[in-house]
Amino acid sequence: MSNVSDVDVAVGRSKRHTARWAAISLGVVLLLFVAVLATRKSAADKQAESPLLGKQAPTLSGTSLDGSQVSLASMHGKWVVVNFMASWCVPCRDEHPELIKFTQRHQAAGDAAVLGVIFDDTAPNVRHFFSELGGSWPVVDDPNGQTALDFGVRGPPESFLVDPNGFVIWKGIGQVNADGLDKLVAQGKARGA
Amino acid sequence: MKSRWAWLAMAAVLVVALVIGAQGRSGPMTQAERVKHIASEIRCPTCRNQSAAESDAAAAKAVRDEIQRRVQSGQSDGEIVAFMVSRYGDDILLKPQGSGVASLVWVLPVVAVVVALAGLGIAFRRWRARPGVKVSEEDRALVERELEREGV
Amino acid sequence: MGATLGTAGVWLGLFGAVVGVATLALGLRRRDPRLLEAGRKYTWVILGGAVLAVVAMETALLSHDFSLKYVAENGSRQTPLLFTITGMWSALEGSILLWAIILAGYLAVMVHHFRKRATDPLVGWATLTVFVVAGFFFALMAGPANPFRVIHGTVPTNGPGPNPLLQNHPLVAFHPPMLYLGFVGFTIPFAFAVAALVTGRLGEGWLVETRRWTLFAWGFLTIGIILGAWWSYEVLGWGGYWAWDPVENASFIPWLTATAYLHSVMVQERRGMLRIWNLSLLLATFSLTILGTFLTRSGVLESVHSFTESPIGPWILTFFGLVVFTAVALIGWRGDRLRSPGSIDSPVSREGAFLANNLLFAAFCFVVLLGTVFPLLAEAINGDQLSVGGPYFDRMTTPIVIALLFLMAVAPVLPWRKASEEVLRKRLFWPAATATLVVVLCVATGLRGLAPLAAFWLGTFAAGSAVRQLALSARRQGWRGLVGRANGGMIVHIGVVLIAVAFAASHAYGHQREFRLSPGQSAHLSGHTVTYLGTSTVKASNKTSLRAQVRVDGGKIYAPAVQQFPFATQAIGSPSVKSGLANDVYLTLAAPPDHPGGSAVIGVIVQPLIVWLWIGGAVIAIGTALAAWPGRRRRPTAPVSAPIEVETTGAAGTQPPEPVVVPGA
Repeated sequence: MSNVSDVDVAVGRSKRHTARWAAISLGVVLLLFVAVLATRKSAADKQAESPLLGKQAPTLSGTSLDGSQVSLASMHGKWVVVNFMASWCVPCRDEHPELIKFTQRHQAAGDAAVLGVIFDDTAPNVRHFFSELGGSWPVVDDPNGQTALDFGVRGPPESFLVDPNGFVIWKGIGQVNADGLDKLVAQGKARGA
Repeated sequence: MKSRWAWLAMAAVLVVALVIGAQGRSGPMTQAERVKHIASEIRCPTCRNQSAAESDAAAAKAVRDEIQRRVQSGQSDGEIVAFMVSRYGDDILLKPQGSGVASLVWVLPVVAVVVALAGLGIAFRRWRARPGVKVSEEDRALVERELEREGV
Repeated sequence: MGATLGTAGVWLGLFGAVVGVATLALGLRRRDPRLLEAGRKYTWVILGGAVLAVVAMETALLSHDFSLKYVAENGSRQTPLLFTITGMWSALEGSILLWAIILAGYLAVMVHHFRKRATDPLVGWATLTVFVVAGFFFALMAGPANPFRVIHGTVPTNGPGPNPLLQNHPLVAFHPPMLYLGFVGFTIPFAFAVAALVTGRLGEGWLVETRRWTLFAWGFLTIGIILGAWWSYEVLGWGGYWAWDPVENASFIPWLTATAYLHSVMVQERRGMLRIWNLSLLLATFSLTILGTFLTRSGVLESVHSFTESPIGPWILTFFGLVVFTAVALIGWRGDRLRSPGSIDSPVSREGAFLANNLLFAAFCFVVLLGTVFPLLAEAINGDQLSVGGPYFDRMTTPIVIALLFLMAVAPVLPWRKASEEVLRKRLFWPAATATLVVVLCVATGLRGLAPLAAFWLGTFAAGSAVRQLALSARRQGWRGLVGRANGGMIVHIGVVLIAVAFAASHAYGHQREFRLSPGQSAHLSGHTVTYLGTSTVKASNKTSLRAQVRVDGGKIYAPAVQQFPFATQAIGSPSVKSGLANDVYLTLAAPPDHPGGSAVIGVIVQPLIVWLWIGGAVIAIGTALAAWPGRRRRPTAPVSAPIEVETTGAAGTQPPEPVVVPGA
């Protein structure tokens, strides 16, 4: 390569150092940007925020799997885990034994129960699901997705913890476990509900 | 020679055509159109990145049905959207509402463009003011030598 | 066996990269040409490692070697041959492998191309940079994204196969490889930009050498993005082709900076200006491909494309930080040396148009990037959870696209340095007149809507200007008038116009409805008739399809279906499309009949001009190939500008203006 390139470059050395200042400010912005990206939790892990927290639970009533009429209001006085599920949902399968454990633990005291809601599935499928995996709590059919909409459910499994007075105090996205639920109920009781 | 008159005539024809063309979407939207319009601003709850108007998912249908019910009962667009937010949270909306931090996403690009235009404006003024490059004899001789060397 | 060979390949590649970096670094520091010659030979080690790994993976997939975790999760005995082969890039680890082999290939071509200048430190630094990037990707495969992990315990006898959406359409064989050929291709110009900054050799030589690389990479990326849109359209079932999905945006953002570069580099070649800006664009394009990879694979953003989460995120983010820091540091260090003495005389000139073009593309890039990452930023600032979706991007990018269409029409007729109004009026009259005629015809045939009509006018205006350039060029030079950068560029512009017009038309004039039809019943939408005939169940080796027979417009029968794959939790819809030059009839089976012979819900979407999106893509590809055609070669050191009159200020006009020859190397 000839020396032409170095000559014509030397002519233009700038006294204002614009490039340096631009580079420094851009560098600072990018540093902040990378810091933000580094501290994000993954989308799936995000804390379940819900505008329903601290408010009265929406009305929930319908026909259960065995044909009887069930409603959340009728379970007033208990801690209720409202559990939106589907037979095709793999994490729902995984959390089902945990829900069974939870209901068994609270059967004697009768202070807490589970109320299932079908999300985008058919009653026969869910009946088959329950006969296969066990569990005997009431499950409400939601054929038009109205209940899911009222609770702001994105996809199964999602669970809401409703206190004995009907207020929603917790929302969980993804599968739940019995110990976690127990802890939440205990905390709620301690706060005085 | 295409004179100004030819351009003016063409502009007139175009304006007339566009004015006629802009008509036809007459009057306020029908109910079905309103439902579609509102649904297109609400995210389909179960989908990854589609609007409730586009998606086939059960949750999207439920949203559309609910919007239809409320449109028929006479609620305004704002009320219906507010209802959806009250159930699903702010992130059910596909467009950030313009207040607080959310407004930044609308404002920053405009600010950036304005700043860039200002920068260009300053640059242009500086270029105009420059007296032009004067080439010294020594530089000219250097260039001649190099060009000879390259065989030009 | 497969796992051992594959892992050996990965480590071989990593070894080659690391030792290559060390050798070249030493050679550059000691200015030892022998070390530089030796260092570049490690390219072949890297290539060998990559090839070995790919062969091992494909063999494992084709022979259904389920002892490999990747094959156990993504392979299946029932998957058809094509999708087994493409299964290599159907999940995260395999996609890194695809990136690595393409990078190794590009590296080998680069090293071979510059073999006669291997001892030039510029080439040495460029090769070193590519070695570093290759080393990163091989390190990913040796560490968190290992495609050759082995299953401990019982080996399954069969697997679930790739994600059902990736087994649905042959385009899966083309879209990812094309996209990667684009992304990865930008590594080479990036490497040369880094080399130029490090060595201080900031004249135009390196730029001219790598121009064709950048053009090819850009071409592949464009085709890759368009194929992605086509695939979305044919497979996802909502009748759309662009959703401003974060992963779509991640591939689009570097395209925007690359397009800006392809234009502004012409100003650098002609006037020696905008050097810092062009270098920054190249550095930015590569950085944005790495950022895009991070956003796609880290799980921070939800998307149709999300790979399953993996610990790979922090690694990629660290690499991104490194790349960006290096780029910024280099510009800060050397940037001020680049100041050129040139200036732009008038905003109404070809240079001015390119400046405007770059401003618009920079704004476009900023809008898309901001919108894509804004949910993350908002959450970081005050915990707000919000979404930024289609409506935001549509609203913010529409004015930019309109301005760009206008510029596309006007810029090719602008002369360099300064334009006169008369020249513009004369040259643009017929394109503008044709555009007006087109709009009048549209309105006369009943089309309404200001936005699409404006799009039609601007599109025809831009296309008319491009055709005018081509016609003049062909008249002067015969068939040679269609090749070379300027002419190929005009053809690319025509392709872009086709896409813009098709986009506007399909959005404005699309109609969509669902019909519940019993067998034999018909429905009508936008002048098309669909008749539902019934359903049938078809079992294939990898899936069971419930197909609806739908006759469209009394002619051929189309089969929108719902497909159940054995290991997938939900059935997926498979649309069927009747494509035509005027419009597409898009059919979906929204709800199958409850009982045999019952009614089904058929979704029908009629959209005009969809096919022109893909035709426009093909035109862009042709234009790119023509633009890469070698024109009459100009040596890098030949003067570009003719003598110009320069007035000296200050003096009372006693000296006559001196003609100045400005070397334009």
